[in-house]
Amino acid sequence: MTQPQSSSPDTQWPRWEVFKQDAPGRPHQAVGSVHAGDPPHALLTARNVFVRRPAAVSLWCVREDDILTATPEELTTNPALLDSPGEPGTYHVGVKRTNKRSMTFVDLSGIVTADGPGDALRQAQSLHPDVLAWMVFPETAVVRTDEDPGTVASWFAPAKDKTYKQQQHYGVIGRHVGELKRAGLMPGRAASEEGA
Amino acid sequence: MTTTPSISGTELTDPQTQALLLKLTVLADDEIILAHRNGEWTGHAPILEEDIALANIAQDELGHAGLYLSLAQTLGGSDPDQVAFWRGPDDYRNTRLVELPKGDWAFTMVRQFLYDTAEALWLEAATRSTYAPLAEIAAKAVREEKFHVQHTALWVERLALGTPESERRTQAALTELWPHAAQLFQPVKGEDELTAAGILPDLTAVHARWTDLVTRHLVDKSGLTLPDAPTTQPGRDTHTEHLAPLLEEMQSVARQHPDAEVW
Repeated sequence: MTQPQSSSPDTQWPRWEVFKQDAPGRPHQAVGSVHAGDPPHALLTARNVFVRRPAAVSLWCVREDDILTATPEELTTNPALLDSPGEPGTYHVGVKRTNKRSMTFVDLSGIVTADGPGDALRQAQSLHPDVLAWMVFPETAVVRTDEDPGTVASWFAPAKDKTYKQQQHYGVIGRHVGELKRAGLMPGRAASEEGA
Repeated sequence: MTTTPSISGTELTDPQTQALLLKLTVLADDEIILAHRNGEWTGHAPILEEDIALANIAQDELGHAGLYLSLAQTLGGSDPDQVAFWRGPDDYRNTRLVELPKGDWAFTMVRQFLYDTAEALWLEAATRSTYAPLAEIAAKAVREEKFHVQHTALWVERLALGTPESERRTQAALTELWPHAAQLFQPVKGEDELTAAGILPDLTAVHARWTDLVTRHLVDKSGLTLPDAPTTQPGRDTHTEHLAPLLEEMQSVARQHPDAEVW
């Protein structure tokens, strides 16, 4: 990490939201973010951070600056978000439907043709009235992995072969601490328990 | 006299088996030592994302070593853990390229690029091996290696074309590493016969492809200068003073717990 320097400007690289597709036909999901200097760097880093083991078939990265998000509460207090200016064109719409997951993904639900990000957000609100949050970004902002078989194989196929081992899979060298405590062989706490 | 391994593929003669065992050990040693050097960045890489990425690459390289050593074991070699953790610097057969200290980020990325490119090209050729078990391993590993090449090629280019400071460091790294890189293409004893039988890739052809590929990326694309490479190389049994302390650290847990059965 860079050294903290009180008077220097923020040198952090831009943040990119990462969208992962687990299987053909499934929606791309926002799974987290990476910092990267440019689009190819963002994709490569996203692959290493988010596709180390779970299966995937496609990755997208979108710069944070190109994404407009809103919750229903935010639209109530700041309706001007629906007038956010920008280029007309094709926009991707993402929705967050639930908090009941360990990772609260945003699913991309489709595309709309809009006058700008504000209009896309308005359409997202109309299409999906009962969600926790909306996300829109222009198609032109998406940097995506190639879909040719060679790229898919080298970027994603190895991840499927890697098994994830839970911690308890690994043995303990020597004797387990609980065993030592029960035998009264742990100094300190075990000894005081014994005395009590 | 022909020995028949209990696995599918070309039947190997005794001399072929011995030569292949040595080659597999040589390949694994490079992977193990480089993985350890990359692992030294864990918690120290420039940003969190690269910390994860390099650790991931190091794990992949260790996985490749595991593939080589498991195949060697089926051919009569020792248990992979024994090979990795119970041999000293005199017995390791890695190149000097991979044992040099990790240096700065530019040094690490240039070394990894030179190595990944060589490994990817060799593995690609090895997928056509007439010895089926090796071809299978290569097909598995080459997918990961192609991705490594993309990652490190991107870094080398950006560092070389970045600031004057990053360019200076990248050129310095290349100047130091380049003379060692050719050692990756030294054949082992008996390798010629295995190549003639189609069991191993033609190392001379792989070397030529490698030189062409890395020159295009380092010189044409990234504006770096290749130094002269020495015409002769020390053998893989000649190490720098850096290997012994590396192994001492890497093997410390195994040697403190020689009876450990579960890792």
